[in-house]
Amino acid sequence: MNFWLLLLIKVGLVLGVMLPGALVIIFGELKISAHMQSRIGPYFAGGRFGWAQPLADGLKFMQKEDLVPADADDRVYKLAPYVVLMGTLALFVVLPFGPETVARDLDLGIFYVLAVSSLSTLGVLMAGWSSANKYSLIGGLRAAAQLIAYELPLVLAVIGVAIMAGSLSLNDIVTAQANWQWFDTLPTWVNIIPPYMILQAVGLVIFLTASLAELSRIPFDMPIAESELTMGYLTEYSGLRFTMFFLGEYAGMVAMAAVAATLFLGGYWLPFVSDDVLNFVGPVVLLTKVMLIAFVFIWLRWTFPRLREDQLQTIAWKWLIPAGLANIVLTGFFKVVF
Amino acid sequence: MTQLDPRAAMHLSDAAVSVEIETPDMTLNIGPQHPSTHGVLRLVAKVDGERISSVDPVIGYMHRGYEKLAEVRTYAQITALVNRIDWVSGFANEIPFIAAIERLMDLEVPERAQYIRLILTEMARISSHLVFMSSYPLELGAATPLMHALREREHVLELLESVTGGRFHPNFNRVGGVKPAAGGGSTMKKQSQDLPAGFLAATRDAMDSVLAICDDLDRLVTGNELFHARTIGVGVIPTAKALEYGLSGPNLRASGVKFDLRKVENILPYDGIDFEIPIGQNGDCFDRYFVRNEEIRQACRIIQQAIDKIPSGPLQAKVPRILKVPKGETYVRAENPKGEMGYHVISEGGRIPYRVKIRSASFSNLSILPWILEGELVPDMVAIMGSLDFVLGDVDR
Amino acid sequence: MEPGEGEEQEGTVEDAGAGLSAFAEALAATVGATSWSADHGIARLVVERDKWVSTAAKVRDEGMPFFSWLSAVDWSRDVEVGEQVEAPDDLDERFEVICRLSSVKTADAVHLVTELPKDDAQVPSLVGEFGGAEWHEREAAEMFGIDFPGNPVAKKHLYLPDSFEGNPLLKSYPLLSREVKPWPGTVDVEDMPSTENAEAAAQEASQEGEE
Repeated sequence: MNFWLLLLIKVGLVLGVMLPGALVIIFGELKISAHMQSRIGPYFAGGRFGWAQPLADGLKFMQKEDLVPADADDRVYKLAPYVVLMGTLALFVVLPFGPETVARDLDLGIFYVLAVSSLSTLGVLMAGWSSANKYSLIGGLRAAAQLIAYELPLVLAVIGVAIMAGSLSLNDIVTAQANWQWFDTLPTWVNIIPPYMILQAVGLVIFLTASLAELSRIPFDMPIAESELTMGYLTEYSGLRFTMFFLGEYAGMVAMAAVAATLFLGGYWLPFVSDDVLNFVGPVVLLTKVMLIAFVFIWLRWTFPRLREDQLQTIAWKWLIPAGLANIVLTGFFKVVF
Repeated sequence: MTQLDPRAAMHLSDAAVSVEIETPDMTLNIGPQHPSTHGVLRLVAKVDGERISSVDPVIGYMHRGYEKLAEVRTYAQITALVNRIDWVSGFANEIPFIAAIERLMDLEVPERAQYIRLILTEMARISSHLVFMSSYPLELGAATPLMHALREREHVLELLESVTGGRFHPNFNRVGGVKPAAGGGSTMKKQSQDLPAGFLAATRDAMDSVLAICDDLDRLVTGNELFHARTIGVGVIPTAKALEYGLSGPNLRASGVKFDLRKVENILPYDGIDFEIPIGQNGDCFDRYFVRNEEIRQACRIIQQAIDKIPSGPLQAKVPRILKVPKGETYVRAENPKGEMGYHVISEGGRIPYRVKIRSASFSNLSILPWILEGELVPDMVAIMGSLDFVLGDVDR
Repeated sequence: MEPGEGEEQEGTVEDAGAGLSAFAEALAATVGATSWSADHGIARLVVERDKWVSTAAKVRDEGMPFFSWLSAVDWSRDVEVGEQVEAPDDLDERFEVICRLSSVKTADAVHLVTELPKDDAQVPSLVGEFGGAEWHEREAAEMFGIDFPGNPVAKKHLYLPDSFEGNPLLKSYPLLSREVKPWPGTVDVEDMPSTENAEAAAQEASQEGEE
């Protein structure tokens, strides 16, 4: 097939998954938080259940005045939201939605994911610096400090999976989970359990905790912290640029949840289903798992208060990193023994 | 031109690195419009990184000059003003002022009126503390307790409104008693001269649901490890400092002082009612939260007992139409939800006071800010300010 | 609302008043106040300006460590708005600075009062003894123009804008908004009904109460 046509299809596919996914999660957040708080939530937009509320919000944001502070570093300020969004979008390139439904199956898939995901923090730092606002600056610096704290646990959590699967390619990791066989003495139905969810449970918990920090979501939303820094690095943004940050946050949730689902919950894999069918069912399976993880993120957000920056560092350096290292040692040990 | 020795250059660069970089403090202007300043408080903070080296609170954005206005208003008109001092518990503000006039006039208030005042004051306390219960976790980032606590507060406010006709500013107390319940208008004689029908039973039910929400909040907030991490050991106020700065109410009790004006002052009939004074051990943010949480439960207990004891009888003592207060000077204080609220009233014998000094709790509670915020982190600043539970109207008057 | 009932355990008004008087007298002797009075539930000790700080410290050590408030009263013949004193000609024009200290174990409380002449309105600051006095003194300083030497920020406005001139709580300070447009209530205040009318109204009110 023509290279350019293929590229167009792939870009369309990535956007077609990411944007609706983000909108669904935004809607889910509105509705779930409402029910947790004994409210109704969006009700009128779109006719039923307020399903069009995220779209309506987006339209509203587009109509808002696009403000650039007088002292702002103009070009950096305008570029920052797109850097954040790009860092998130680029993640979808390597995510497998089916045995062959993948934009680009890199051999260094996980490596690419970890490298690109920290790019959005760069955008946050740019936004914080260029806004010419002290709150924004503190927010941006907090985000940078957070990057250093959580990036290492994130990597360590993934290494366990890489050791077990024997590959860095995301597609191979899914295949390794699909081919996993539990002991013969157990009944066959145990094979529907994604193996790494059990065997890499420590890694899963570390990964989810660290991705909460990466996404700046409560309990780790210190870069935004509206009660301390008004809106952190977002303080000066308005209109379409704010929409980009907003979308980037939720697209980031889709992306990180998709990575977690691929690494630990078996990705697109469904037990007892052949590869041909998975090519079509895979995206649905993956998105279902993504939504489950996103629900956990939302649940945590509306339950917990926010931690302090130094407490995040304590958690990262004193708990997550030692636990991650121990997990690697144990995983390597059992890999060699069995 | 001599060639620089590479080793010397290395040493030089080492020296340059090991010199501590002098960083000037950044001035961070927090407020007057800021989510955690509860209105229009402004803090000019000098921060070194995220650590506050000094803070200068700027108040007065809401100064309405009530003490001057009180000098040109009749006593009855002033009750409408004092409602608006601490607008979260408007009813409780009226009590000490009315009591001061009654003390100067040597009036005996009918018992039923006193019990109605007591019940409504405790309701104001519950509603004020529920606002704290909702806003404090929100300041630490937890949004859900807000909705649950405010929902229960709404029930309490509805009951307050059913008696007084006002949710926030009841203006219900009259010298010598209370206003006949809402619903009348200009035809004084036709209106009901008592509490609305079913009020006491509805109050009992509302107290049960308030107690239930306290248990819910306990499960959601009080036992939450992240909440502990943010509040325990943060913003410790030792007892001596609390007394020196005139902290009162829950803030003082959290510092370990078992003192409640309801137990010692006799302006409302608390003496026949059995209730505990919750106190804290460490004087940190968690204790201040916990004391208020417990006070809601005690207020429910008080109301339930008061409903059992409320006698029937008139609502008003005999008071002349034209209210003239004899010459004299007094100070009456009462336990407002925020702390000690008192009025120093000087009368020269006429229909308007010569001078009214308003002692509001939040003003003194807030005056400790420069001392307590020094050396704290910016996130802890929010935790500490929230735990002091001030209302800007009560600070600025 | 008997005076002094809160301060004493005894039931009757006379007993309570006597108890308060005894308390005020004993305290005045202990801390060395020039005079004392006990009325309407408050014990008032008048102290000299020089002994202002030391007396406050003594009262604190007598078991009243709670700094409740500090403020002032402007006794003035020149009243622009509001109520005039009863006998202006006999009035000794002065400022009264009042500081209330109270106990946190019992209902004991005392108002320390010092009188300042109008032309020399200054009193040493309590900030050294009570940190909480800082804001209260700033408030009194800007509202009455009283000077508090020893308070590091006494001259800085607490409530009013920095450019504000004048001391609003002085009796001679006009309430400008009332000059421009009289408060509707002032009509009510100024047109004093005659004594007979007031008595008739009182009777009417009492009759209503009986109904």
